[in-house]
Amino acid sequence: MKRKTSAGLFMTAISIIAAVVGFIYYMMNCNTAYFANLGVNPVVIGCIVAAIVLQVVLIIVGMKGQPMWIDILPIAISVFLMLGTINFVSARVNGFAAILTFENNAENMADLSSAIIGIAACLIATVVSIVASFFDVTKEAA
Amino acid sequence: MKATKSNRTAMRRWRGVTTLTASVLALAVAAGPIVNSFRTDIDKFLGTSSTKLVHDGDENISEVYTYTSDYESTTELVKAIEDLGERMNEEGSVLLKNNGALPLTADETQKVSLLGFSSYYPVMGGDMGSSLTPNVGTDADTIDFVQALSAKGFKINGKIQDLYKTLEPQFTTEIDNWGNKSIFTRITAPSIGSTFSSKEPSQAIMDETDAGWKDSLKEDNVIIVTLARAAGENRTYLPGTDGVDASQNLNQTDPLGLSDDERDLVAAAVENKKANGGKVIVLLNNASAMEIDELKNNDDIDAMLQIGLPGGYGFYGVADILSGEANPSGHLTDTYAVVNANAPSAQNFGDFPYTNGNPAYSINSVQVEAENIYIGYKYYETRYMDCVLGEGNASAAVGSTDGNAWSYNNEVSYPFGYGLSYTTFEQKLDSLDVDLENKTVTAKVTVKNTGDVAGKDVVQLYVSTPYTSYDKEHGIEKAGVQLLDYAKTDVLEAGASETVTIEADMQYMASWDSSSDNAAGTKGCYILDAGTYYFSLGNGAHEAANNVLSAQGKSTADGMTGAGDAAMTATWNLESLDNESFALTKNGTAVENQLEDMDLNYWMPGTVTYMTRSDWAGTFPKTYENLTATDEMLAVLDNDNYEISADNGDTSAITFGADNGLTLAHLKGVDDIDNPDYAKLLDQITLEECLIRTGFGGTSTKAIDSIHSPEAVQNDGPNGIYSYPLGQYANTDASTGDPCAIDANDKNAGYMAGVMSNETVIAQTFNKDLAKEFGQVMGNYSLWANLPIYWGCGTNLHRSPYNARNHEYYSEDAILTAYQGANFVEGGMEYGCLIAPKHLAFNDSEINRTGISVFMTEQQARENELRGTQAVIEDAGALAVMTAYNRVGVYTDNSHTGLLINILRGEWGFKGLMSEDFIMDANYVCLKEAILNGVTMSCNTGDNTMDAITEKYGYWTVENVGKDARLLTALKQAMTYQAYALANSNAMDGYTPTTHLVTVNTWYDNLILGLQIAFALLTLLGVVMYMRSAKKN
Repeated sequence: MKRKTSAGLFMTAISIIAAVVGFIYYMMNCNTAYFANLGVNPVVIGCIVAAIVLQVVLIIVGMKGQPMWIDILPIAISVFLMLGTINFVSARVNGFAAILTFENNAENMADLSSAIIGIAACLIATVVSIVASFFDVTKEAA
Repeated sequence: MKATKSNRTAMRRWRGVTTLTASVLALAVAAGPIVNSFRTDIDKFLGTSSTKLVHDGDENISEVYTYTSDYESTTELVKAIEDLGERMNEEGSVLLKNNGALPLTADETQKVSLLGFSSYYPVMGGDMGSSLTPNVGTDADTIDFVQALSAKGFKINGKIQDLYKTLEPQFTTEIDNWGNKSIFTRITAPSIGSTFSSKEPSQAIMDETDAGWKDSLKEDNVIIVTLARAAGENRTYLPGTDGVDASQNLNQTDPLGLSDDERDLVAAAVENKKANGGKVIVLLNNASAMEIDELKNNDDIDAMLQIGLPGGYGFYGVADILSGEANPSGHLTDTYAVVNANAPSAQNFGDFPYTNGNPAYSINSVQVEAENIYIGYKYYETRYMDCVLGEGNASAAVGSTDGNAWSYNNEVSYPFGYGLSYTTFEQKLDSLDVDLENKTVTAKVTVKNTGDVAGKDVVQLYVSTPYTSYDKEHGIEKAGVQLLDYAKTDVLEAGASETVTIEADMQYMASWDSSSDNAAGTKGCYILDAGTYYFSLGNGAHEAANNVLSAQGKSTADGMTGAGDAAMTATWNLESLDNESFALTKNGTAVENQLEDMDLNYWMPGTVTYMTRSDWAGTFPKTYENLTATDEMLAVLDNDNYEISADNGDTSAITFGADNGLTLAHLKGVDDIDNPDYAKLLDQITLEECLIRTGFGGTSTKAIDSIHSPEAVQNDGPNGIYSYPLGQYANTDASTGDPCAIDANDKNAGYMAGVMSNETVIAQTFNKDLAKEFGQVMGNYSLWANLPIYWGCGTNLHRSPYNARNHEYYSEDAILTAYQGANFVEGGMEYGCLIAPKHLAFNDSEINRTGISVFMTEQQARENELRGTQAVIEDAGALAVMTAYNRVGVYTDNSHTGLLINILRGEWGFKGLMSEDFIMDANYVCLKEAILNGVTMSCNTGDNTMDAITEKYGYWTVENVGKDARLLTALKQAMTYQAYALANSNAMDGYTPTTHLVTVNTWYDNLILGLQIAFALLTLLGVVMYMRSAKKN
């Protein structure tokens, strides 16, 4: 049976892009002068990477058909992205408070920006992945 | 298996629902540990409590609640704060000039015109730090200038008021304050890297807004012009035109000088007076000394009153001064120079980055305080005296305002200690006795009110110590005059007299000699030079200097600015140099050099020339910039200066986790830290608790289960305890027997106490009793609000007026700072409130404050900045200290052994808790080094687990630290200091040996638990429904 793409594909693709952006900005942020000393949080890395891999699997498998086991993937993806995002926020909130008050200077504000962008991207990836879970990647052609 | 289309839709729907609920479930589950990480901050924000006191025995309530308030209700409490705020500005406002225009007559109070937008939108507190907390709907609502005048019966020109109201949008600035964007409608201080912008409306704008505004001045011709400069933490002014927004083109040569719009406003007032009679009075609403020589010299300005930042009630006091209800008795705490940028300290005030800085270690910039001891009046008066004495090439042009020979009258508008009254006083030095054995100087001074109205006077006792050839040879500097002590009279009726006795501490006459032998067998000691010591009274440092010069036989013919009065002086002779009398501190510790590495020449020999009065011209500071840290400096600047090792001693004798059956309440009020029960108690603490509590000590000193130590919430200051509303932590359960329990609906539950006049005003009172009274009323407040720790005593000096945070510090002078601070702390301690001096030490600039390397000589450090804190520890016995952001040379302040261990805890005998400032960067926290140096806690917060602490500080593990005997000992010592401070504070109110803390679920804990359960069920439901849909296929 021939299959055609569905809204789920586009939304999953958007979520992947947002997750990749979030991941890159997280890594960049971990190497900024202000946040470098906090190190890299393996939970954040693990969750985002796992979500991206599962999203790729979801698209590849979904392009060929819609086996029932694949329905577990959107759930896992959103959960991973949610956990990654909240751990990202948790690791930065003290720094935000300090930079916005006591350590407010141009360099620290720049370091703060990459964290904000990263968190925003992860949040977008999470929300879009939840919405995408209401749709299949492909559907049968009429 | 393949689903039909409709079933597939249902499956997708339930899959989506399951995804949504599972994601929220994940959020709720993850929120649990995160909430724990920030539980203290969340509790503070929400006003909740995660712990509860439980008493197991039958306690006598009077033993449970040790400290008692002077007030029966919160109404009495806030009224007392209001009353003190009013009196603070009555005594702390400084009358700088007055041709008899003040006080106003009753008739004149009915025709007042307020000019200057700062009359209507005044600076009442800092932009950040010591910000005003407005109170509305309480028993002591805060008021501004207009409200105060109205309350005191003044009548204000409404047309002018309306004009400024129309222009209100022009006066707004957005400020990032504690993470919140705030709109301030008033002048603000420049943020770091910014310049000052004048907001005073031009005459053209005022004319455009209301063409008839000047006509309204004809009738209401008593004109008060308010000129303001704001203050703020994390804010700074920069010297000269670099600090001014050049695009405004307002002929403003310095941010603390006047703009043309301000000049034009004053001129308009003067013009009206010439045409229509009346008066022109200028109010200065500032904390950093402004450049106001043109106002001083303008004879058409009738009076000028410096009012500081008056807080929430100070304008009542200002109104009373204007009307004559109160007689001003304040004196300047800073020199008002003609051009601030010409001061030696200004040459090295700014942003001077290392060429090889590294933000990873907060290696940013350098501040070389090459002015040596000569800040404020110690520069101006000493150079002036040397001009008269013909010494040290003092009259050279360097540092002069007009490029000609340096002349005092061209450099200083108003000297330190200066202030006028509505009456006149006569002071007579009845006797002065120097008792070297008891180390006191006792002066008896009779003060007589020789005028027509009642008032208070200040007796200022200065000393001029000999500047000898030994000093020149050994690089010891001497101020021409220095304040030794001071006292304020009671209210003296016209014609009345009072004899004031001052018993000054002689140790503050001694000078630090880094080359002297000492009792420790090393180098470095306080010395008294051989020679003649002159003691002098005076209305300010300049009058005292002239009196000394007069006693030395000098006159106006020698270049003196006034005749001076030798009768106001006394002398004392010391035959030979004395390096023994002050070789031991009050607690018997031998002094020695501790801050040699704070001199940049220690690291980079020959780099800095520190200013000396033996050659003013040749040593006037140059600007030290583009410095490159050497490898040796970088090795320290990376902040990793202690290696944890099993080779640092035997750990077997260090006990943790013992069961000795003690609680901290057993030691309640035990003020001997050597009492063996402290050691027994601390043997009960676990290593994990030590590691967590030292690493996460921020915003509150958390409960420690093993010793039943309670949580003690911390607060910022210094303008009052303002971090939380009165009711946030107040006990609302009267059944506990707490005499300070409040009703949950108490009218003042939302009251916040950031309402006092700023510290400069408190110092300008020159009244130790008022400083103490502020400590007492805050102590009372801490009892009602259950807020025992208060970072509220700013003891950094006003090294330069450009530091916009000067509003949180008292003065340019160490003695005035120390005694006002000591009395404040002492007052608070009477009620068990731990008021901490901050920031120890050398937090002289807000620029790059996290990391800036501050360099100076040891003499300068000890006789200026450190002397400003010394009495707060030695005399008042403060039990809390906050360290600074900056570096002491190349060491972080929190890891400098000489400063913290050897001077603070050793020489001064400090036994209390010590927190770092709000340093978040784990590397710059320097936790292991800080603990070794007597710091008891960082200011970070986090979960009460080893995982959390180790995530923040990787090396801070039981295994790692547990092998290092030196660190273990320091950890237990830190917790002992902390326990000792709390045992002697009102944090223990409510506790007895049978009291223990239990953890309780807050509403948000229940909410999270509820969400977890609900979304777990919903997720399960989603899965079931999905399976059902799938099964239909």
